[in-house]
Amino acid sequence: MTAAGPPVEVLTRRLLETPGEFLAPTTVVPALVADLLALHGAVSLDQAAGALLRPLESPEARNWLGCVAVSSWLLADPTLVAPGSGERAWVFLTGDDLRELASLVPAPALVSEPDRREELARRALAALELVPAGETEAEAADRLTTLDSSERARVVAATREAEVRAEAVREAMHAKAAAEAAAKASRE
Amino acid sequence: MSPTPEGGLTEEERRPLIDNEGRALLSKLLEDPRAPRYNHTCGDRLTTAGLARVRAFEQETAARTGWAQGRPPAWVAGFASRVSTQVPAYRRAGALPARFNQIPTVSRADLVRDPYGFVPDDHPLDDMVVYTTTGTGGTGVAYIASTPEAAASYCVLLGAALGLHGLALEGGPGRTAVAQVCWQRSTYTYASVSSFLDQGATCKLNLSPADWRAPGDPEAFLEAIAPEVLTGDPVAFARLASLDVDLQPKALLSSAMALLPGLRAELETRFGCPVIDVYGMNESGPIAAGLPDGSGHGLLQPGLYVEILDPAGRSCPPGERGEITLTGGFNPALPLLRYRTGDFAALDWRGGLPVLVGLEGRAPVHFAAADGRAVNTIDVSVALGRFPLARFSVHQAADRSLTVGLDGSGRAADPGVREVLGELFGEVPVTVVDLAGAEEAVSYSSELTGG
Repeated sequence: MTAAGPPVEVLTRRLLETPGEFLAPTTVVPALVADLLALHGAVSLDQAAGALLRPLESPEARNWLGCVAVSSWLLADPTLVAPGSGERAWVFLTGDDLRELASLVPAPALVSEPDRREELARRALAALELVPAGETEAEAADRLTTLDSSERARVVAATREAEVRAEAVREAMHAKAAAEAAAKASRE
Repeated sequence: MSPTPEGGLTEEERRPLIDNEGRALLSKLLEDPRAPRYNHTCGDRLTTAGLARVRAFEQETAARTGWAQGRPPAWVAGFASRVSTQVPAYRRAGALPARFNQIPTVSRADLVRDPYGFVPDDHPLDDMVVYTTTGTGGTGVAYIASTPEAAASYCVLLGAALGLHGLALEGGPGRTAVAQVCWQRSTYTYASVSSFLDQGATCKLNLSPADWRAPGDPEAFLEAIAPEVLTGDPVAFARLASLDVDLQPKALLSSAMALLPGLRAELETRFGCPVIDVYGMNESGPIAAGLPDGSGHGLLQPGLYVEILDPAGRSCPPGERGEITLTGGFNPALPLLRYRTGDFAALDWRGGLPVLVGLEGRAPVHFAAADGRAVNTIDVSVALGRFPLARFSVHQAADRSLTVGLDGSGRAADPGVREVLGELFGEVPVTVVDLAGAEEAVSYSSELTGG
């Protein structure tokens, strides 16, 4: 079941205006998330959940936390804040979608790159079960597929794989064309 | 088409399954004092697993399955689905259309442009064999990826062609099963032993005197090896017939060029055996073979679906001529999906099996009589087919004059040829030239356009 959300442009504009401290290495992400969940009417962050958001040493983990911080700023937009949406917000912030996005996109790009802003905005809307204003569910899904970084990464990987294979076939055929064939009993 | 120069195979890789009897036969073929100066080394490269697959293919071929009129065989849908995702050249066309006849066709020009794109993603590259071919279509050199099993499967299909005439290719130790004869300025020649033919031999020989040590050797050697069957093209067979050689093969299997009825009759008398026209192409291997009653060509491959398409790509109804278009095949390195051959025929059904009728291995050429009336190339084939010609060419200039090329051995037919052409074309100037020395004459060409 989905409901009408705000226009995507409202959210991309908010992302463009993300305060610099949300991307600072010193940001205390659990505090940002706790504030956000309170805004959405959720109970405050418990200890175990907070531990999920503790700063970690690996660059990948730090980038993911950066994405969580930017997403927290986004989800705090008044057009998205609604009673009872805290759980969905939490699932989005800690779920596989955002982790996969973080594995492919540097957190600052969610602010600086137009397509990545739109992608994050649309992913957030989908996670909150909202459809952007002025769009049908199908149109929204299509547009998200177009922007989908993980899908793009899969296509790029598949293309690269195809290029490697094509080169291997080319090399093998040239080598075999200069090599001994197998006997055939007739000609065409 | 020629196998490429040898490059680095060990004897074990070249002939994995040869045994002592096979080795003895090979030595005999290679060391006979009358043997040609072979210029190539070639084996069947069949492993135990490969041989098992070729034998399985033989069983499938023997079953002679076809398809009902107007409906592709059941395997085609799965095949199309697989190659449309696994073969780069087909994948580029995008998602598979709902109906098979909406799948875009491909042609030799596509293969010449990107031969690599026709090799499936999951096809292993280690044991690939590559042949090169120029063809006669003027599209350039094509590289044909293949496998040792596909090469060995030629024997299966030649056996199937013989089967249409109540014969079989037996092979067996100590016997030369297949001798391929050529009559070319130069070509690769070799002797080989086939594990599929139970250690029987196959060899490729060029009748050109330059390939032999002494005059009389070609005749003496061929008589000594007494091949079970001979394969070759009409030019080579016409040359063979002119030699003083006593052979009793089971059959002659003629391929590569259209076999004209006059020459076929002459060869059948000369060698006392059926002469079978085998239609095939490098991309697919043997496709069909002439039926004993001459009424058409029976299809040979169980996994090859043949469509007949009009110029717009629509299926022609049974009996209507169109372009032969292939799907499937036995070569896993080059699966064909709606491959336009450039050859023309109609499909008919005999006993529930599809048969090619009115096979013409070239695109239609527009000929016109002196009064402007269209002249069908089939009529020209029928008219000139009465003469014992190995090959001929007919070219019509824009002013409707004809230049007729006759193979050297057919010059005696000159007056008769002029007469039958006069009957077809009316009063047009005819110049007769000698085709001797030409590599592969295209039979028909014209400067006139259709309409």
